[in-house]
Amino acid sequence: MVSQLSFTGSAWKNLWRRRLRTLLTLGGIAMAIGAFVALVGFSRSFEHEWMRMYESNGTDIAVIEKTFLNTSLEESVGVKLRALPVVAQARPMIFNLMDLTPEINALVFGWQADSYELDSLTLTSGRRFRDGQPEILLGEILAANLNKKAGDTIEIQGTTFTVTGIDHGGSALEAGAVIMPLDQLQQLSSLEGKVTAFHVRLRPAPAGETQEEYVKRAQAQIETALPGLYAVPAAERASNNQVVLLAHAAAWGTSSIALLIGILSIANTMAMSVFERTREIGILRALGWKRWRVMLLILTEATVLGLVGGFLGLGVGWGALRLLSALPQTASIVSATLSPWHLLEALGIAVLSGLAAGAVPAWHGAHLSPVEALHYE
Amino acid sequence: MNSPQLEVRGLCKSYDEGRIEALRGVSLSIAAGEYLTISGPSGSGKSTLLQLLGGLDTPTSGEVLFKNAALGTAIGLDDYRAHQVGFIFQAFYLLPTLRAIENVQVPMLAVEVVSDDRAERAKALLLEMGLEHRLYKYPNELSAGERQRVAIARALANHPSILLADEPTGNLDSVNSARIIEMLIGIQKRRGMTLIVVTHENEIANSAPRHIRIRDGLIDGRFQS
Repeated sequence: MVSQLSFTGSAWKNLWRRRLRTLLTLGGIAMAIGAFVALVGFSRSFEHEWMRMYESNGTDIAVIEKTFLNTSLEESVGVKLRALPVVAQARPMIFNLMDLTPEINALVFGWQADSYELDSLTLTSGRRFRDGQPEILLGEILAANLNKKAGDTIEIQGTTFTVTGIDHGGSALEAGAVIMPLDQLQQLSSLEGKVTAFHVRLRPAPAGETQEEYVKRAQAQIETALPGLYAVPAAERASNNQVVLLAHAAAWGTSSIALLIGILSIANTMAMSVFERTREIGILRALGWKRWRVMLLILTEATVLGLVGGFLGLGVGWGALRLLSALPQTASIVSATLSPWHLLEALGIAVLSGLAAGAVPAWHGAHLSPVEALHYE
Repeated sequence: MNSPQLEVRGLCKSYDEGRIEALRGVSLSIAAGEYLTISGPSGSGKSTLLQLLGGLDTPTSGEVLFKNAALGTAIGLDDYRAHQVGFIFQAFYLLPTLRAIENVQVPMLAVEVVSDDRAERAKALLLEMGLEHRLYKYPNELSAGERQRVAIARALANHPSILLADEPTGNLDSVNSARIIEMLIGIQKRRGMTLIVVTHENEIANSAPRHIRIRDGLIDGRFQS
């Protein structure tokens, strides 16, 4: 079998001749893609868990204020809401992110003791809390991290709460959260008479109307009855509540910076490579290689860097997510699951990064004059 | 006389915004299958003429015709170099990361030769150059003479009709020089190719039926043979 030279093989040989530089570049892009996979994966899994929570407790619509981040509405709105014919139940709720110990923070939900949302929880020990009492339920992951059981007490922002039960919720959010009476969280957050949102369960859709049509009609009815408020379907609320929005923004912001550094690292490698291989590019042009073919060779090298770095980055990102999901500080809000779509997206970004980074060096290399390139010292 | 394979008319080439005139109006006809040597002192313009004949560069004025078609306008320079011309350089210009057999395949990537054929064709050419024991060596593992033979095999990769050699023996000892010239003449005769060799060695210059001498960017008529 004689040795066959392929175009991509040639590109790989060019990269491998400077092993250290190639490995360092791959490290750079792997870290960038790893950051993307971990951070964006984290924020998406957070959103996903939020959706699971709505699904498990049967919330159809969340009623919120028309503001981007902090939504705070009057608790008295509930009376008008419950009077609407489409509404079966409307429950006020607050959520907040609080430090429980210097190392552990958690989502804290404020629900009424008779809220339908509590029905979706299974108590593995103890009992529910009572309104007006400094009592809480702990999700089972959080309880394990805090080493607390039913009957123990815990201090939250200067108030001592009794753990009345440990719950197993429908999502990782609840498993890692504190749930306390609404009035207690209102006091802790200085939000007396205010709530974050109302969670609404609709009456069953009438015959002949799809659930989607019914939810739309209910939205319109609620927004007409309560001007200035939004009635948001649960799925939409899962993706645009303030905590998820902040998580997405932080994840994309940080990932973008990491990706920019990764792109610059490939661009630097390719620019140096083209510079060092000026004469070789002249040889290729002298041997009849067209400009586009030289450009394609350099872009192929940059893409290989992006792709291989991308695969390494998937491993880095997955490892980081595993670590985050194991740390007590973040275990309650991170699950180490990655969707295939997210992995493909990361690889796509890695390849596009390679192409973007290689574009200028490729153009420069392809437009070298063969004679000048051949005489380059 | 049949129409020439290569013809140059009033060829001028200047550099550095016209301050350096490498060629100052060269006209020349070269028939298909001819063996021609070009000599001249350093800086006379002989390599520039070869580069223009090979489509590596474009003239400042004048034109190069291949089978009556102007290079750069009627025929694309890349296509011309890929299909019609094989280059041999003084410094060999082999790619250091590729083995001998892979170096010979590099021009074939420019013309989409079927992948199965590439390696076989490269092997056959290296065998023709007497390098059957050096197929898988990298350039730095080859002697200067062997490198030049790999370069000749590479120049023949796409079955060009013209072979252009720029000081092909400049980096070789006398034994290897004689062998390379003998090899080039043999190839030219066997394949009926046009062979144009730029040299500063009189012995090589005189080995061709036709020899022209360039001086100060012009053909020196006194030395045309």
